[in-house]
Amino acid sequence: MKVLLLNGAKQNDSTVDLVCATFNNELIMNGHETQIINLRDKKIASCLGCFGCWVKTPGECLTDDDGLEIAKAVVQSDLVINITPITFGGYSYELKKALDRLIPIISPFFTKIEGEVHHKPRYERYPNYISLGILSEMNEEMAVTFRNLVARNAINMHNQLHLSSIMVRNQDNAGIILEIRELLQKVGA
Amino acid sequence: MSKVALLLVGSPKAKRSTSEVLGGYVLDELQKNGFKTEKENVHRLLKADNGSEKLIKLVNTCDILIFSSPLYIDSIPAPVVRAMEIIAESKREQNQSNKQLMLAITNCGFPEASHNHLALDIYKHFAKEAGFEWVGGLALGGGGTIGGQPLTKFGRMTKNIIKSLDLTTFALLNGNMIPEEAIKLMEKPMVPNWLYILVGHHGWRTAAKKYGVHQKLNNQPYK
Repeated sequence: MKVLLLNGAKQNDSTVDLVCATFNNELIMNGHETQIINLRDKKIASCLGCFGCWVKTPGECLTDDDGLEIAKAVVQSDLVINITPITFGGYSYELKKALDRLIPIISPFFTKIEGEVHHKPRYERYPNYISLGILSEMNEEMAVTFRNLVARNAINMHNQLHLSSIMVRNQDNAGIILEIRELLQKVGA
Repeated sequence: MSKVALLLVGSPKAKRSTSEVLGGYVLDELQKNGFKTEKENVHRLLKADNGSEKLIKLVNTCDILIFSSPLYIDSIPAPVVRAMEIIAESKREQNQSNKQLMLAITNCGFPEASHNHLALDIYKHFAKEAGFEWVGGLALGGGGTIGGQPLTKFGRMTKNIIKSLDLTTFALLNGNMIPEEAIKLMEKPMVPNWLYILVGHHGWRTAAKKYGVHQKLNNQPYK
């Protein structure tokens, strides 16, 4: 299985980096091909909302930077793992700047999913997702928002299987490994 | 001394931004009622020299903070998340005691306004964490219909939006939560869903034709 790990940590966020490294170790031990992208080190401009990726160069963003590589890697992966400090219930800036650039991988045309309007898929298949959010301390309201956000993203990005999980920063290594193994088992990785 | 209202626009568009039109309407109404007003585009502000410092200074001196942004991937555009990170970090380091109200407005390209609700939840969490008094959020569906043009241009089609923003301004002037009526009026569809979809699809094809790629709209470059 081809697995893409998107690390949404800021510089010097050792907890998020540790979780990312642990995921990677477990995946390699299970025989999977992995790619880690530390988003803070990548040049990813903000989405301009120009829709050029739909009507000028369909399927590809006009901004020539690392955002292109990430969109391509997402489509070509079997599993994408987002790891992020939970930021006001959502993703960190580092992760969000990459996610905003994924618009080219869906179609501009609309379809209805369970009675609600969404964009049609551009591709026949999309990767499964695990989104793991890290909180400094448990905050139920933010945790609910994060889980709902992951679920909504999965509808719009046409992910068949999506899992969200929340960790707190003071979790010990054994707990992190256990949680990660459980998540990977659920997605067959 | 006049009270200050600050509008932070979260759209990257320099022209024809629906986010700016919606937030700008409230800002103009506050100005008519004696407020001093400031407006900044988050994308451009953060790229400017000393942008973070300017952002913090503007936020610290306002009495009402208004965010108005488009919906990006069920949430808030990345630069606005960055702005909120900067503001929250700065607030943690200071002991600001004055009451500051915060309002958020989001608009999306889907006809249903409900797509915006999670973005508003995120704004609400930010308000709490950064010490603002949350007065509520407004969600608009079918933002593409407005396309950054003045609300008054559309006649009856935007009457619910204007009424919602008037009610919101009145609540802000009185330091109150925005009323449920304002939230419901903003969420009323401007046009039926089927018509929005029909016009939307025609718009994509027409735009693609201009660039000679209307036969390639379903391209799969990464397959």
